[in-house]
This record gives sequence, C-alpha cells and structure tokens, in this order.
Amino acid sequence: MLDGIAIVGVAETAIGKLPGRSAIGLQAEAGAAAVADASLAKADIDGVFSFSGYSQAMMLHAARVAEHLGLRPELAVVTDVGGPGTHHAALLNVAAAIDAGMCTAALCTYGENGISIRRSGRGRAPGTLTGGEDFEAPYGQIAMISGYALFAQRHMHLHGTTSEQLGAVAVTSRHHASLNDNAHKREPITLADHQASPMISSPLRRLDCSLISDAGGAFVVTSIARARSLGVPYARVLGYGSAVTHHSGSQAPDLYELGGPVSAGRAFERAGLTVADADAVYIHDACTFSVVAGVEALGLCGEGEGGPYAESGALALGSDCPVNLHGGMLSHGHAGGVFHLLDAVRQLQGSAGRRQVEGAAVVVAHGNGGVFSTFSTMVLGRGQ
Amino acid sequence: MTGKPRPDLNDTATAPYWEAAARHELVLRCCGGCGLVFFPPRELCPGCWSRDLSWQPVSGRGTVWTFTEVHVAFYDDTWADDVPYVVGVIELDEGPRLLANIVEPDVDGLAIGDRVEATFEDRPEDLTLPMFRIVR
Repeated sequence: MLDGIAIVGVAETAIGKLPGRSAIGLQAEAGAAAVADASLAKADIDGVFSFSGYSQAMMLHAARVAEHLGLRPELAVVTDVGGPGTHHAALLNVAAAIDAGMCTAALCTYGENGISIRRSGRGRAPGTLTGGEDFEAPYGQIAMISGYALFAQRHMHLHGTTSEQLGAVAVTSRHHASLNDNAHKREPITLADHQASPMISSPLRRLDCSLISDAGGAFVVTSIARARSLGVPYARVLGYGSAVTHHSGSQAPDLYELGGPVSAGRAFERAGLTVADADAVYIHDACTFSVVAGVEALGLCGEGEGGPYAESGALALGSDCPVNLHGGMLSHGHAGGVFHLLDAVRQLQGSAGRRQVEGAAVVVAHGNGGVFSTFSTMVLGRGQ
Repeated sequence: MTGKPRPDLNDTATAPYWEAAARHELVLRCCGGCGLVFFPPRELCPGCWSRDLSWQPVSGRGTVWTFTEVHVAFYDDTWADDVPYVVGVIELDEGPRLLANIVEPDVDGLAIGDRVEATFEDRPEDLTLPMFRIVR
C-alpha cells in the first residue's frame, strides 16, 4: 500500500521570529505552496492531514486547516505520534485512504509559531510536555531538553562521549544551514562557540538544543500513477518502521532497549535495503545527542560510537552519508519537525541546491517523539 | 510567580503514595498476580494486568541511574529561585526507577552510580515530595 504513494510537492514558509503570524496561517501558506509545487490545484485536494504542534494544541486541527484553505475534503485527519512519526503516520493514513478510494491527493500541513505564541502568553502551559505531570513536573522536570539531558549524561557515563563530540554535531548542522538560504540560523559556529555557550540542562549547552521557530511546512501525497501523469519529480516510500516503548522520560528503558534500532531495522528490512544504501539521512534533532543516538540506531556506527563518529566528520556534506543537510532543528528551524521529511524529498527531487547530494536515490528520515518514546523510520526512494 | 506544578492528590490510583509520603514513607505498588513491584502506581499491573495490588514499603535506598543539573528557569519564573537544581533518575534497590530531585549534600561531585537515600520535602497544602540525598 505504502509502495503505491508518491510525495509530489513540498514547501516551507519563512522560518524564524515571525511575530503576528498564526500557526494555522503559516500552515495554510505552506500548504498552498506545496500544492503549487506539485503542479496541482486547490480543486485537486480531497484530503487534509495535519497536526497543531504542541505550543498551542488545538482540537479538530485538520478541519481547521481545511476551513482556512476553503477545502471541503472527505477526510480531515490529525496524527500525533511525536517527532517524525506524526508526519510518517500521515503518510500511512493517506496511503490507506487512497487504497480505499477515499482520497486521490492529500495535503499534509505542519508548523507552529513556537516563539511568538509563548511570548504572547497564549502558549501551552508548562509542565505538560514531558509526560510526567504527577511524578516529574513537581520536581522541575518540565522541559523536553531536560529529558534528553538524562540520556546524554548516561551515554557519556557508559561510553565516554564528550561535550566536544556533541559540539561537532552542532557545528556541522550550522555548516549545512549556511548552505540553506531559508534556515533560521545561518552564521557558522565553531567548537569554541559551542563550548562557550551556557549550560542549559547538563550536559547540554545552549548550542546543543534545537531552535524554537515560527514556521510552517507542508507536503502533498498522491498515487504514483498520478505523480507520473503530472510529470513532476517525486519521492516514493521504500520501507517504513516504527517502535514505541514508553511515554514519560523517567519510565524509559535503558539506552539500548529504546525503539530506535528496532524502528530502523523494521524500515530497512521492509525496504530490502541496509543503511549502506542510504545517500543521506535526516535525524530528528531535538538536541545534538539525538544525532549521536540516531547514527547508532541507524547502524552508521556501532553502539556507543556515535560521539567519535560525529567528531570524525562523517555527518557533513561530502561524506558517504551526510546527516541533516538542511541544518536540522539545531539550525534550520523547529516547528513541528516536518522539515527533515521535506528536505529528504528535495534530495530525491534533485532540488536541494547547494546542499544537494548528487544522484541521491535513497534517503532516510528517522527519529523520535517524546523523550526517545516513539521512533519512526521512513526509507524514501527517488521516483521514476 | 505561579505555583509549582502539583500532582493530583485525589487520583485514587496514586493517592496512597502521596499519603505515605506525607508520613515520610516511600511505598510502591506490588502485584499479587505476578509479583512485579512497579512505579508509578497504576490501576492495574503493567506486567500482567492484574488488579490484585498491594502497597509495599521500601527502603528508600538506591543508585543514581542518571541525572541533569537544570540551569535555566524554563517558560516563566516558577523555578527561578531554585536554579540550578538537580533532577535525578534513581534506581531503587527494589528495582523500579523514579525521578526526583537530588537535594544534598554537595551535588557538585555527583556521578552516575552514587548511592542515595530518600528524604522528604514538605510543600504547601498537604503535599510532601520524596527527594534523595547522597550517601557517602
């Protein structure tokens, strides 16, 4: 079923501090642009899939997006798996809907105004993000980054991973963002900048943390037959996998019982491929350590070797399998985490500009929601 | 300043945990079906789904499984007077892991694997939180 669908259009709005822009307005703007990128028209869209994001969670969000865009689709569906799983689950839903004859072309929209909504005081109340309202928030465990810090600390303890190795992830992400004119942060940084940035939640410093951005992103999904008739470059699904182990950060299993390797293994097995076949990977980088964990989970290096792997330069454009070529959430922007999938598609469309991997044929989007709670891995291939 | 987040003391699945904490005792759920000792308390055993559950007093001793020192008051000024503060995940000698602040003494040299024991912090309006201190 998944092997019959094509991602035919992608778009993102400006990314950064966009005061006065509503989250739904950003999603609608990106949505209309993605439909145009697909060489489709408003009248062609008969399904809407979305998520509000967490900074201002909304009920019936996909119906809101549809209304905002003047659409009256058969399906308006929200998915909330966390991290990349939210967008990957939308692909599953669209594939099922197309298979059932309920949809022919679906618009999938994401994005938040995470900076501006919090400053306006109308954002989501603190203490509800980490999943431990009763047993974590009363202790001041109220920010996602503190949940990631617990795992980064444990990885350092078990494997000798260093802050400098995490810094290599931040520096490489910023280098990639410098090649992307739409990235939120494009000024190159050095390892010294990383080491001088203030501690946020040890061992994670400010430059270990993903950005918070105002931005919208969207993609359009249709059948491969329709994509071919449109004559546009597209990406197709080669394999998909997922794995869920817990919700609250403190209830997580140990590092190597998390769902990352399982999710990745399922996706590669279904694709009939291995990570050696990937021309680039996109890892949901809520923090630098997420990339260290991600390269291990994907099998780019062994357990515990993610730090030295990052330090070796293997993440950068020009290596065998570069990571987060758009700049990731660390530097390109964080508004619902959809941009990894969008840039994976661009690589396969051949439209990634200065950060294009020549001839990219297989690209993987991978990562987690919650605090390493829900993992999702999508192996995409170039349409033909 | 808004108040610090509070647990729901009226949740019937968890209320006895907080009542024990108010007596400065640490208790965990123990399953009569499969013997699993688990945290946090739930309506049914996450191992075998039995509802035959009892409360088991535990030693309060354990080991630091991981921790983070929080240097920023996130979102607003609720925690501004507390930073930096240490959040640890403690592996209790009885097995389950729980999250709490590590409050004393001298958390500067704190390391994974350090031994800790429970202590209790009374907060306003009948709330007592189990905390941990380093045993050296």
